[in-house]
Amino acid sequence: MTNDAIAIDNVSKTFGEHRAVDDLSLRVPEGSIYGFIGPNGSGKTTTLRMIMGIYYPDPGSGSIRVLGEALHGADNDAIGYLPEERGLYRKMKVRDLLRFYLELKGRREFKGPIDDWLARLDLTGWAHRKIQELSKGMAQKVQFISAVIHEPRLVILDEPFSGLDPVNADVIRDAIVDLRRKGTTVVFSTHDMSVAEKMCDYVFMIFKGRKVLDGTLDSIQRRYGHDTIRVRLDQNGAALNQLTGVERVTDFGRLQELRLADGADTQDVLTQLMQHGRVAHFEITQPSLHDIFVRIARPEPQETAGA
Amino acid sequence: MRKIIAVAVREYQAAVKTKAFLVMLVMMPVFMLGGIVFQMTMGKRVDTRDKRIAVVDCTGRLFDVLAQSAHERNTKHIFSGGTQIGPRFLLERVAPSCEDLDQVAFEMSQRVRNEAFYAFVIIPADVMTPRGTQGAPESEDDPVDDEFTGGPAAAGGVRYHSNTPTYGDVVRWLRPNVQAEIQRVRLTAAGIDPDVVETATAPVSVDNLGLVTRGQGGQIVQAQKADEIANFIAPFGLIMLMFLTVQVGAAPLISSVLEEKTQRIAEVLLGSVNPFSLMMGKLIGMVGVSLTLITIYLGGAYVAARRLGYGQYFPQHLVVWFAIETVLMVTLYGSIFIAIGSAVSDHREAQSMLMPAFIFLILPLMIWPTVVKEPLSPFSTFVSFIPPATPMLMTVRQAVPPGIPLWQPIVGAVLVLITTVGCVFLAGRIFRVGILMTGKGANLRQMLGWAFRG
Repeated sequence: MTNDAIAIDNVSKTFGEHRAVDDLSLRVPEGSIYGFIGPNGSGKTTTLRMIMGIYYPDPGSGSIRVLGEALHGADNDAIGYLPEERGLYRKMKVRDLLRFYLELKGRREFKGPIDDWLARLDLTGWAHRKIQELSKGMAQKVQFISAVIHEPRLVILDEPFSGLDPVNADVIRDAIVDLRRKGTTVVFSTHDMSVAEKMCDYVFMIFKGRKVLDGTLDSIQRRYGHDTIRVRLDQNGAALNQLTGVERVTDFGRLQELRLADGADTQDVLTQLMQHGRVAHFEITQPSLHDIFVRIARPEPQETAGA
Repeated sequence: MRKIIAVAVREYQAAVKTKAFLVMLVMMPVFMLGGIVFQMTMGKRVDTRDKRIAVVDCTGRLFDVLAQSAHERNTKHIFSGGTQIGPRFLLERVAPSCEDLDQVAFEMSQRVRNEAFYAFVIIPADVMTPRGTQGAPESEDDPVDDEFTGGPAAAGGVRYHSNTPTYGDVVRWLRPNVQAEIQRVRLTAAGIDPDVVETATAPVSVDNLGLVTRGQGGQIVQAQKADEIANFIAPFGLIMLMFLTVQVGAAPLISSVLEEKTQRIAEVLLGSVNPFSLMMGKLIGMVGVSLTLITIYLGGAYVAARRLGYGQYFPQHLVVWFAIETVLMVTLYGSIFIAIGSAVSDHREAQSMLMPAFIFLILPLMIWPTVVKEPLSPFSTFVSFIPPATPMLMTVRQAVPPGIPLWQPIVGAVLVLITTVGCVFLAGRIFRVGILMTGKGANLRQMLGWAFRG
């Protein structure tokens, strides 16, 4: 992986007073799956739109190179794009719409790819229905097909899993993995941390316009060390935040996640836990991406108090 | 280029392959003809209840004549094909004293208010004797006009009083009858035979004719009697068709651009085509829709005109010019509509932006009667060279005899073309920015800013 599909250097984007993206640099290696995470309004979509060439970075703020070329406008047949919301003509029939998008990407062969993709995403029976007759999930699948059907080298997907039930989410996930297998670079944004954990070679987190995480999941988790304990007690563990050496408790109901304070001893915590009740499960682990996300995006109580 | 065509084809199909388009295609002529028919039938919806009219005849000589004329009207003139199309006028002689006519008028007015009569007429005794100030002929004037001019009634004239001054039929009937009889009496009194006067004053026709030509065999071909209505129909039909084409062909671009903008389709499209190509594609698609429209309507009008024997009034020689002018016009307005659609965020905002554009569209419709009357006047020539108005007004001037020199439509078309290219260019710059904008729509100043600063 010597080539970068996307190379962003020191790019900023300002809307009026609001700095949506602040001095961002990023390398997306070709052939990888890159996950963009971050709270709503943190700059994910703006970054994706800049990569698409829909938005230009602030003048003089840096450069973006996509597939080895500086961008001139958004039209690029080597890129496929799935916008965050809709993006389909509601009155067009599924087949006509896909054909139109293929034509726009300069392709001359229609029947084969359209039939293949419709069959693959279980939409064959809907080929002659209008978009407005489809459910949200089906429309989302059509939208996905329109982003990848022309076999782009780079696919940019803004929230590809939103609105999908688990079955359809799996179908899309398989399709994305399949694209990567064929050498396509995939960049997608998501709010689903477990998806990002499982699928992405690299995870990039943006918060308030700034890059806060970037790297493989391992490298990110390593930064946070083994400071997390997952535990299940036989009875309710409501009072666990009183334990010494525990900084924060996340209660998932059946399972509690304890974040240890710096230098806390796991043995010591276990001893305290045993005094609370029978320990059914005890696991020392790296923090999940979810936990890391929340640590960054949720202000600490003392910070809130200080602010 | 293939992408532009793809956009154009989609745009065309999206516009034409809808039920709304087909319905509009059929309904538009139905509405226009229906409107005329409706007006004609509504015009016949008159109140045919009898109108009782009291007559105070101080001359003692006019009532019988009027009653005779009313009887004739009641039995013949108000019937059309066996149906009654107007009310009967039932005249009744009331004979109070003619001493104090104002008092009589007041008393009679009370009776009208009590609905004993519909109206009353007072014929003063001195109406028979001619006076210098009285009797100025105004028989052809619309009687409603002077009903509304107000002021006291002229002394010595016949006075018609009613509570419904907007109903002019009685006066319209009364006036010539009174005048004819009084004139007859006066002429007889002066020793002139009224029949001689009638013969001497018989109206002479003045015909409105075109120019005389020489036929193929060299013989003189008499000019056709100019059918004024038919002469007006061609220019009127053509500019209405142009107006319709802009309405039906170009105006939907606003919705189409708005859909692409609000549904975020634009983001996907712009990942494949540049904004200018996208806009050009839409414009070409719309020109296709417009050409479809005028082909259907002009074809229909031609067949209809031939069938009905008005073939000679169908402006065959203008079809090509008309198509050129229409294409330029819809492109001009289409680019403006695209710019508006891309700059606003919903239809309501679009409506307010459309006002200024529509003023330019409607102005030619307002001045065309002047232009059609004097197509060669300096004013008509001047306004037909103002680009947004050129297509409509130049067509009007071409459609009526004697026609205009060829250089004029050519120069006009070139001017419109330049304006159109400029408009498309500026609209493209607005489109580029506006189509991706979210949230509140832009105002006119921002739009002009995008257009001119780029």
